[in-house]
Amino acid sequence: MSDERNALTSRITPAEEAARESRHEVLRELLGAYADRELPPETVAQIDAHLIGCAECRSALEVHDAVRTRLATERPAAPSPALRARIAAAIDAAPAPVVVQAPAPQTVPQRSIVWLAVAGWIAAVVLAIALVVQLPASRQSAGGVRPIGAPVQQVSLLGGIVDDYTRVSRGDLPGRARDLSAVRAAVSFPIEPLRAPDLRLLGAWTTDVRGEPAAVLAYRLRDRLVVQYLVAEDAFFRHPAVRTAVADRHLLTAADGARALVAWPGTSTGTVLVGDVPSEWLQSIWRSERAH
Amino acid sequence: MVSASSDPSLDLRSRFEALVVPHLDRLLAFAIRRSDSVADAEDAVQEAFVRAWLGFADLRDDGLARPWIYRILRTVLSDFREKNGRRQQLVFITRLEDAHDELIGGEHDALFSEVVARLDSEAIHRALRKIPEDFAAAVELHDIDGFKYAEIAEIVSVPIGTVMSRIARGRKLLAGAIMAERGTAAFEQSTDALAERRTSRGGAR
Ligand SMILES: [Zn+2]
Repeated sequence: MSDERNALTSRITPAEEAARESRHEVLRELLGAYADRELPPETVAQIDAHLIGCAECRSALEVHDAVRTRLATERPAAPSPALRARIAAAIDAAPAPVVVQAPAPQTVPQRSIVWLAVAGWIAAVVLAIALVVQLPASRQSAGGVRPIGAPVQQVSLLGGIVDDYTRVSRGDLPGRARDLSAVRAAVSFPIEPLRAPDLRLLGAWTTDVRGEPAAVLAYRLRDRLVVQYLVAEDAFFRHPAVRTAVADRHLLTAADGARALVAWPGTSTGTVLVGDVPSEWLQSIWRSERAH
Repeated sequence: MVSASSDPSLDLRSRFEALVVPHLDRLLAFAIRRSDSVADAEDAVQEAFVRAWLGFADLRDDGLARPWIYRILRTVLSDFREKNGRRQQLVFITRLEDAHDELIGGEHDALFSEVVARLDSEAIHRALRKIPEDFAAAVELHDIDGFKYAEIAEIVSVPIGTVMSRIARGRKLLAGAIMAERGTAAFEQSTDALAERRTSRGGAR
């Protein structure tokens, strides 16, 4: 068991840990099919969420990827002209295949039955691939980016968000994946998930940040976790450093160690996006969002 | 069946040339990986092509030609194995699984991606031969030959869930075989340490 998971056991109840462990036992058997994109989207979403909190599964997934990437480069053999000639001669010497009469149209060959049985499986895979949002990054509309003029922990809202993010990124995501309607019903401001290339919504829930109600939307960006916190407008603009940074349609940027934050105001809300990723990744999400 | 040609077997032959013969290079590679010599592999492929030709009229859907010829080759190879009484050089599966578990439990995983990326074909083939043929075949059909799970289920005549678990387990065993072969002192040491932990835990598995 990894350190990451040991650290987690101290903060959650034994029942939660048992549920998590059994989820781990089930999902780790599916990592090969996950790597091969052979799973239905609901299962992919479950594994996405589990991977964020499970170092062991992430590590196992890397092994799958490393093996399949290496095997994919194996070259076919080069059949000698002599072998080709031998095969042609052997076929010439063999009797011609017996051509049976064309089957009646309603006859379903055995092979097709097998394929029908797996059609649902394939359909699920096609759907999973289609769900990956592909949008061109629109950089010409990029506006200015302005670092915040105060340490993150001194701005109550941002400090609270970093603390909450730290908690979230250590464990499995709470709540059910993609349960947006419940979150919308629970807060007073509008919620629209972000759309950007390689960004996939994993789940949504509500929390409070230093006493302010917030909606939390977790995304997977490539293999990383990125979390969007939505708060009401007045809570967003409370600190003068935020007001200054986002003035003139600027994007607020901030960092807390390796953790990047960007923030911008929306219609009667404010968004703070946080992740252990390069700030540029978060900034390009904002650009994609503005392009819409 | 109405045919434009006066000799239907000529039509069949050109269809065979178009649908089956282009796969010869990959089929030969598949056979070489599970034969003692290239000559044995060539014999197996030739036999598979003759059987495919004789049964060609059974192939009703041209789109299924590739899995179909692989399926025939696998039958031929298994017939040959039976005749020759050849046995694989298997390593204990538990040892390979331990090596894999050690890999993902420790600091070796970053190293592993680099190690496996640099392995030459000889080393890959040796590792594939150390794991049970059913597992190796599922992994190879997917990772080397590019079949989808549903097609592999068709080729090896097992349910798709079995394909899934064979590929998952096969890759783990292969990773274990690769690490076991590397056999660096540090790695052996940590594998021993793992075995001791296992024993002291009462062989939890
Ligand atoms: Zn796990």
